[in-house]
Amino acid sequence: MPKQLPIDPGQTYSADKVRFTDIPVHAYKGDLAAEIARWGKDGLRAALRHMLVVREFESMLHAFKSTGAYRGIEYVYKGPAHLSVGQEAAAVGSAMALGPTDQIFGSHRSHGEIIAKGLAAVGAIPPGEVTSIVESHSDGRLLDLVTRHVGEAGGDPAEAFLLTGVLAEIFMRDAGFNRGMGGSMHAFFTPFGAFPNNAIVGGSAGIAVGAALRAQLTRSDSICVANLGDGSTGCGLIWESMNFAGMGQFRNLWQPPFDRNPPVLFCFTNNFYAMGGQTRGETMAWDRLSRIGAGISPGQLHAETVDGSNPLAVADAVARKAEILRAGEGPALLDIECYRYSGHSTTDTNAYRSRDEMKAWQAHDPITRFRDRLVDGGIITVGEADEMVEVAGAQIEAVTRVVVDRQLAPAVDLEASPTIIGDMTFNNEAIELGETAGDLLAEPAETSAVKSIMRKARSGIAEDGSQLSPMRAVTLRDALSEAILHHLTHDESLIAYGEECRDWGGAFGVHRGFADIIPYHRLFNSPISEAAIVSTAVGYALAGGRAIVELMYADFIGRAGDEIFNQLAKWQAMSAGELRLPVVLRVSVGSKYGAQHSQDWTSLVTHVPGLRVIYPATPHDAKGLMATALSGNDPTIVFESQRLYDRVETFEPDGVPADYALVPFGEAAIRRAGDDVTILTIGPSLYPALDAAGELAGHGVEAEVVDARTLVPFDYDTVIASVRRTGRLIIVSEAVERGSFANTVAANVTRLAFADLKAPPVVLGAPNWIAPGADMEDKYAPQEHDICDAVLGEFFADKRVNRRGVRNWDIAGMAKRGL
Amino acid sequence: MATEILVPQLGNEVTEAEVTEWAAAVGDNVSASDIVVVISTTKAALEIEAPCDGTLSEIRIGEGELTEVGAVLGVIE
Ligand SMILES: Cc1ncc(C[n+]2csc(CCOP(=O)(O)OP(=O)(O)O)c2C)c(N)n1
Ligand SMILES: [Mg+2]
Repeated sequence: MPKQLPIDPGQTYSADKVRFTDIPVHAYKGDLAAEIARWGKDGLRAALRHMLVVREFESMLHAFKSTGAYRGIEYVYKGPAHLSVGQEAAAVGSAMALGPTDQIFGSHRSHGEIIAKGLAAVGAIPPGEVTSIVESHSDGRLLDLVTRHVGEAGGDPAEAFLLTGVLAEIFMRDAGFNRGMGGSMHAFFTPFGAFPNNAIVGGSAGIAVGAALRAQLTRSDSICVANLGDGSTGCGLIWESMNFAGMGQFRNLWQPPFDRNPPVLFCFTNNFYAMGGQTRGETMAWDRLSRIGAGISPGQLHAETVDGSNPLAVADAVARKAEILRAGEGPALLDIECYRYSGHSTTDTNAYRSRDEMKAWQAHDPITRFRDRLVDGGIITVGEADEMVEVAGAQIEAVTRVVVDRQLAPAVDLEASPTIIGDMTFNNEAIELGETAGDLLAEPAETSAVKSIMRKARSGIAEDGSQLSPMRAVTLRDALSEAILHHLTHDESLIAYGEECRDWGGAFGVHRGFADIIPYHRLFNSPISEAAIVSTAVGYALAGGRAIVELMYADFIGRAGDEIFNQLAKWQAMSAGELRLPVVLRVSVGSKYGAQHSQDWTSLVTHVPGLRVIYPATPHDAKGLMATALSGNDPTIVFESQRLYDRVETFEPDGVPADYALVPFGEAAIRRAGDDVTILTIGPSLYPALDAAGELAGHGVEAEVVDARTLVPFDYDTVIASVRRTGRLIIVSEAVERGSFANTVAANVTRLAFADLKAPPVVLGAPNWIAPGADMEDKYAPQEHDICDAVLGEFFADKRVNRRGVRNWDIAGMAKRGL
Repeated sequence: MATEILVPQLGNEVTEAEVTEWAAAVGDNVSASDIVVVISTTKAALEIEAPCDGTLSEIRIGEGELTEVGAVLGVIE
């Protein structure tokens, strides 16, 4: 279907101007009477108290880091402490304006934000619900620790629970909200609306957009707030995320009731510094941070600069933006100016700023100013305010005494369970699919793309034994389509997007015809924003949805590096299994387009713990493994070889199952039996290996060809059983040899089956240089003759024939040349 | 004069295509650049335009049938 937004040449070239509107800077004019009417005197007193609790909490961390003791409690804390002393009004003001189900996503400097959000939630959630939240977390163990040991000085039990959970997380204890797997920079507690903080600058931006997309599609009333630093405006992901959240299609192309923008607030806590770099005037071009909103969308992201030293100015602004977001008119941006007088971290010597500047800001302390205002307004007496300081101190002290105690609050027991951290990597859960989704645009079987697959033979082998053409039999591409379409048509929580995903039918046709069936809000074209594609999928999934997203070429993994390696791969374990990331990331391995479009990067992603990695080589497996990936609750990277898209099924006698079927992960497949040598293949290398096996048989060598199918998890059992019989192993893949997954397998098989090996395993991959263009490709990825050369040359010297390939590398010599 | 509607070159390794849909029926008047037939390869659907003005006089390959690069899909007179 062609675009619904025609581009007209006449209109395009008519003279016009791009107009901007003024961006308010510190426009708040607080009137105390109005604020009392709005928040109540209790609400204002609570705001002061929450700021004091945050200040005391961070002062405690500061004391431990700088002196090793706090209120007579000695403790050596080795982890990070990015304190926000001086920024409390921003955290508390924002939390005042948000509801308990609104979600905040933070940065490395977010202790204050989660505590403020938690305290506000404890105050706002009905007490019965709070009780069940605190009772059910960690099967009641954290609550038990609090009630037994923190005692009355800890104040309200739910507040003590919150503070204990956060501090224990920071101190990496089992009682932490995430069992100490996140620590200071990643602490969170979703029941109170505090979602993951992120140690990667800007990392929360796309995740918050994804979570907001989930809120939009579930028609929830919650908004998502990305709490970011001013320094993050230099990060690409920030810009990709702002654009993604502002995309025109939400309003122009999505159907009601989904025709709204994701409710996300980009909330910059602008403390004027990013470590030692001064953002305004030195490292950034914007001069005013809020200006950047004007570059993103006609609505300028409703940007404003706000006084972050006044909680009421912040609350006012956040509340106004929240209203815009709930009306579907986001995204929005706030530039909240405030000053941290703690160092960036505790090793900061403040060499980059003057004493005078720091003193001037200390004289402008948000807590003192707010307290004075409440005292002047008769909302609190000096005596009451002083008592509030005392109580906050006692509360933090009581919690701290318990958490530092390793008897009461130990770390997870790595002596007793050495793999306990590893066991948090994957949940290995699978979902059951439901009935047909109710939102389909057409009956799939009535659409031309589905009909054309249905007309094809399921097996690629004709009755006379000949191989059918890809127009006559189901291909690997069709098989992927079938599995994905089945999930999309049976799971309304599943969304699919990427570049060219909709009208184009996926860059390589895997989504062909889906646009006739799946509504816009579940199948859409993304901008060319690989980082945001993955990051939003992470956010969408951790907020309860499921996503299958595409990066066109595996070579573009680099553009989404952090999002794949640090976000997608890590949040399950960093949350101690609290979060689930059912994200399937499709990447294709190209050919003919040269060095930046032809790389098998399986080794990069298998190197990073936390990702399931599969590389189907047959149509049957493509369907079954894709279905397993989509029904699982763990993140999975699916490699697809462009060379194999048109392959028909030649192994399974019944062909590709017409019905939905799963192929389990972690089971290698023996594609040809033989006793003399094991050829283990990864992805498309299966086919040259089979050709080579045929040729080797002519030399009296019977090869067993094993298709790895999945790399994480990996099936050593099948490979080793084969090697025990053959005594020889060659591993063939298109990945470059240096640092490859094939080398890992070779090393492990050598250890595990050393006694059975007649020769050391051989790794045959691509050479350690760039992939050349189309005409030279056959000298790069291992071919049939390369495999024969290696097998005969390395294992069967007596049968050696003239070498046909160009590979006769002197490994050590080339390594010396950096190759 | 009769003009044939041919299956065009579809890319390096693509030799076959399927007729997905005829957008005109025999006897219809068509103008050059009207879409008359949609064909699909293993990867993508392709809209084929009438090569000239005239009347679609013959459909040689029906919907759902397979065909090859260079084959005659239909004729315009
Ligand atoms: C991608 C990335 N680059 C660099 C860092 C190291 N780093 C940690 S915090 C920080 C400064 C961030 O400044 P800003 O965003 O203004 O937040 P602030 O520290 O002021 O709260 C840097 C450079 C990082 N964590 N992540
Ligand atoms: Mg900063």
